Amino acid sequence: MSDKVYGGKCTSCGTVSYPRKAVCPTCRNETFEKVAIEGEGKLLTYTDVYALAIDYETRYLRLAIVELDSGQRATGQLLAEDPKLGMRIKTTIGVVREPGEKPILGLQFVPA
Amino acid sequence: MKPVYIAGAGMTKFGRAEWSLIRLASEASRSALHHADLGEIPVDAVVVANMGAARVNKQTALGSALVDQLALYPAMAEAVENGPASGASAFKVGAQAIASGMANVVLVTGVERMRTVNGLEGTDFVASLSHPEAEYIYGVTLPSLAGMFARLVMDRFGVERRHLAMVAIKNHENATKNPYAHIQQTVTMEGILTAPEAIVNNPPIAEPLHMFDCCPVSDGAAAVVLVSEEVAAKLAGPKVRVAGIGQATDTHAVHDREDPTDLKAVRLASEKAFAMAGLTPADVDVAELHDAFTILEIAESEAAGFFPRGEGHLALERGETALDGKLPINPSGGLKAKGHPVGATGVAHLVELTWQLRGEAEARQIKDAQIGYACNFGGFGNNVVATVLRREAK
Repeated sequence: MSDKVYGGKCTSCGTVSYPRKAVCPTCRNETFEKVAIEGEGKLLTYTDVYALAIDYETRYLRLAIVELDSGQRATGQLLAEDPKLGMRIKTTIGVVREPGEKPILGLQFVPA
Repeated sequence: MKPVYIAGAGMTKFGRAEWSLIRLASEASRSALHHADLGEIPVDAVVVANMGAARVNKQTALGSALVDQLALYPAMAEAVENGPASGASAFKVGAQAIASGMANVVLVTGVERMRTVNGLEGTDFVASLSHPEAEYIYGVTLPSLAGMFARLVMDRFGVERRHLAMVAIKNHENATKNPYAHIQQTVTMEGILTAPEAIVNNPPIAEPLHMFDCCPVSDGAAAVVLVSEEVAAKLAGPKVRVAGIGQATDTHAVHDREDPTDLKAVRLASEKAFAMAGLTPADVDVAELHDAFTILEIAESEAAGFFPRGEGHLALERGETALDGKLPINPSGGLKAKGHPVGATGVAHLVELTWQLRGEAEARQIKDAQIGYACNFGGFGNNVVATVLRREAK
């Protein structure tokens, strides 16, 4: 993964799909251009999860779904002390998982 | 489509198994075959439901393995993997074989043996059904998806943690009446929520969900024998008809849904199943829902059409879903207390309904149950199979 997370913007109707798909769910067109999933938005929901998968040594992870001002939604890690539903956040990119030697970069959300 | 009947049902006790994966599957199968009492009538096909054997037990081609154990050659055989909805998916495949006329007798067996690996590995195996790039890499596990879903539903509809606890209390109580249930222990509101020591008894798993909001990790198997009308007429047992099956899918990633609190695939699958059966949710006498997390029993009871949106927790609070309520939900103890051997769960739902409709559910029998409904919830709601069963007069 690069230093950005990308969705696919349909070249026909403009619908942004994230995660990216092979076919546009709105108009069934099959060509897309890359569009970065980034910017400001609001916190839709979150959890502190203690039932962790492999690759994590922390006690819990704070995960969230956010809705960006562009209307796009995304799942990622929430770096906020006292989260409140609806709070303003902005996206950033950081290490989200370290399976072995190569860390994986992905979306993190911080207070805007 | 030709009519399809369930002639027999059986299962192993859920929990931690000493038996091998195939031994579990064959014990449940033998029990279902004895229950069906087919005599000389041959089994034409075997469908095995399983999610994780390739990874967790390092075994594949389970259909062939089970045929061999039961010496059912040269029956047709295969395994079906559809995440946590594998069980009802395999049941659907079996029912289709009979409805199409390709088979007269089909054995459908769901099995999972997950406790051979440690908790981290087990959680990771189930998490592998989430979206690899948009969910899994962030550390998403099934409890985390349920936690985020629960927070949203609770915020929007006024569901409180005490409602979630009511689901756990009810299902644990029901499980004490089910000898096949993994957990045979009642819980109280004080013990899991209101007493000072509740936080110790019931630690957080994925806030706002705590341990007693989550199903245990179980091993086990469940099986049913499906037969054609022609075969059903020759058998002595009661006739339980597969009245309707519906299946629907939704987006892979939960965040990708227009309304992440709407269990759209449950709604659509249920509508299809009821339409096929020519029945409505109001006709149902007993329901088995997929309460892998307590919040799901409430949300599914609404999406399946039993209660208006946002009112499932109120019906629960009024006692309508209790064993002696208007619509008993999860008399078996549910995934919450009966246990959740993933690939077996969807079949175990139908085992419980079959017993209920035949009047064989002993201490947890719902009086005069004629119509049963089951919801097998795959992914985190991205693949759902709903089934409606109906008792018919001989």
